[in-house]
Amino acid sequence: MSKKLTRRTMLQAGMATSGAALLSGLPASRLFAQEPEKPKEIIVRAWGGEWVEALKKGVSDPFTAMTGIAVRHDLTEDNEIQPKLWAAVAQKRMPPIHVNWDTTTNATKSALRGVTEDLSDLSNLKNTTELAKPVGLDGYPIVNTYGYVYVLAYRPEAFPDGAPTSWKDLLNPKLKGRIALYNDGIGFHFPAQVAGGGKLSDIPDNMEACWDFVRQIKAQEPLLGEDPDFTNWFQNGEIDAACTISTNALAAKKNGIDLAWTVPVEGCKFDTDGLWVPKGLPENELYWAKQYVNFALTKEAQQVWLDGLGLPGVVPGLTPPAGLEADPSYPTTPEDFEHLIRISAKVQVQNESDWFARFKEIMQG
Amino acid sequence: MTTDPDNSDFRYPLRWRLMDGAERLLEIVWPRRFGRFTGWLLLLPALLLVGILVLGLWQMAESSLHVLDRNTFLPSEEYTLSNYGTIWQSATYFKVIWRSVQGAVWTVVFTLLLAFPFAYVLVRTPRAWVRKLLLIALFLPFFIGQVVRAYGILIVLGTSGAVNDVFGLIGVGPYRLLFNFPAVVFGLVQYMLPFAVLMLAPALTSIPQETETAASSLGANWLRSMRHVVLPMAKPGIVGASLVVMTLSLTDFAMPAMLGGGSQDFIANAIYDQFFRTADQGLGSALALLLVALGSVLVAVIIGLFGAGTLGMGEKK
Repeated sequence: MSKKLTRRTMLQAGMATSGAALLSGLPASRLFAQEPEKPKEIIVRAWGGEWVEALKKGVSDPFTAMTGIAVRHDLTEDNEIQPKLWAAVAQKRMPPIHVNWDTTTNATKSALRGVTEDLSDLSNLKNTTELAKPVGLDGYPIVNTYGYVYVLAYRPEAFPDGAPTSWKDLLNPKLKGRIALYNDGIGFHFPAQVAGGGKLSDIPDNMEACWDFVRQIKAQEPLLGEDPDFTNWFQNGEIDAACTISTNALAAKKNGIDLAWTVPVEGCKFDTDGLWVPKGLPENELYWAKQYVNFALTKEAQQVWLDGLGLPGVVPGLTPPAGLEADPSYPTTPEDFEHLIRISAKVQVQNESDWFARFKEIMQG
Repeated sequence: MTTDPDNSDFRYPLRWRLMDGAERLLEIVWPRRFGRFTGWLLLLPALLLVGILVLGLWQMAESSLHVLDRNTFLPSEEYTLSNYGTIWQSATYFKVIWRSVQGAVWTVVFTLLLAFPFAYVLVRTPRAWVRKLLLIALFLPFFIGQVVRAYGILIVLGTSGAVNDVFGLIGVGPYRLLFNFPAVVFGLVQYMLPFAVLMLAPALTSIPQETETAASSLGANWLRSMRHVVLPMAKPGIVGASLVVMTLSLTDFAMPAMLGGGSQDFIANAIYDQFFRTADQGLGSALALLLVALGSVLVAVIIGLFGAGTLGMGEKK
């Protein structure tokens, strides 16, 4: 970290937020002449393992050091916290968390349902790239904080002739029963569309090419799981290749597993995660929850947080972690994005259930 | 309570006085004239719990009649049977339901095959240390949750696990022992075994050992005695164990999720997906009600064919 964060910087950010709120015409009850009362703690939902460790080191601990507000991490799965938040807002109860670290697709569903606070007044948004802005939504009901790639991770010893170059390499009979995908197929649908001979422009209307390729993969008897499963399966020698988020592959590698990853010629899905604040918080807690999100958008916080995750952030000028400078899972330039597939959150939100159902239909057969 | 006027220093024991106090308090809180309702009062907590369950089911029934509006991610206003139509037309849900029923039936069969001899030896053994050993083996798994047990199976049966290590010693394998239907049934049998033994043991205890002695004195060997005497007399326990194992297996979530490798879902896993993965509470509710209906029908069929077993303790013999 090149610049030390101070309490003064933090307060300046807070005052700037209040100023932005004033300019945006929020009701008087939302304006604070001075810093509002601090809660003892705020609760931030996070993913466990490497994910929460990185958030703690890069965002939560420095936030606590500067504000004195403890940050508690709730490790409830993102899919499981969602109905709880929706129910809390519908019943006008206080939500169980202050900040939700969520996938952009899931967060978009919450935004469409109207349970997210508007974050347009965060002062640090002006320093972010276009990636921070959610596509197809008004304002900033969520703020994207980084991007990630669903890479093809593999054990080099299982590929003695070199790294796999195509998703079709997974159809090699030697890999039968030795590959893994997410259990809803997330991350795999779009490259499968290309590998199956289809066009990305046909998504979502005609994805038969995708389903044809998924059927071929099904014949390979893949294991289907969640993030922690991939690490376990690689570690226990159950699989040789998987379509997974690069962070999981990086974590497995840090745990001593001989693992590499690549972006095959058909491309890999690129997506984003973000932070959002649920409606229904008391005024002062809402203020500090927003300050937490605002702080997560500072260059200093992003650098440490995303070093831990090995992912590219939404603030210009971040230094890639050692070893990921020219890595395809760490795209920073337009050329890097050429082989990555990005489909709008709106299309994903509206069709995801159908894709999951179709994937399940094939895999449960 | 009265005191003897000739012996004013006499005091009843403390325990008596406390009991008298408790009786007076009870008379205030629950007067004697309400006595005929006491049974209902004792039932009240259980009835409240069941009532909450029924209330939840009612709300799920209501929720199942609304489809999800994917523009707002709110349930639609109008009432419709579309969610049930989706299930009816889906090949996936048919496969998942069929797999759940098959899994439950196989689990009952294998569990009973293992539980019956276990319970029989537990009840009949003359050696105290054998009984203690069997009781420890029976109750130890209760101290370990289902998820931990499934994780243990993952370790032992994994490609690099102990079983494959043994195979390696004789020069075969490693084999993929996990992430298939038999692995799920194996996990369920391991989970259900203590339940079945606990249901069977009282039924076997109630069969006098003299009955078996009488059968053998009349010329029946052990096998015939078992077939014609013990098994028929143990039928209430067998039926009770089957009902418990069947319903618990049919609704299980953890074993298919952990040992099925993502391709061996049971209905509970499909319900979870709808509630938590696609946020479609209507479809999830419809599936949940279908599971309740399916379980009820299966239980009704078993009771209709064989009676309620030890679960119908009050019925006429």
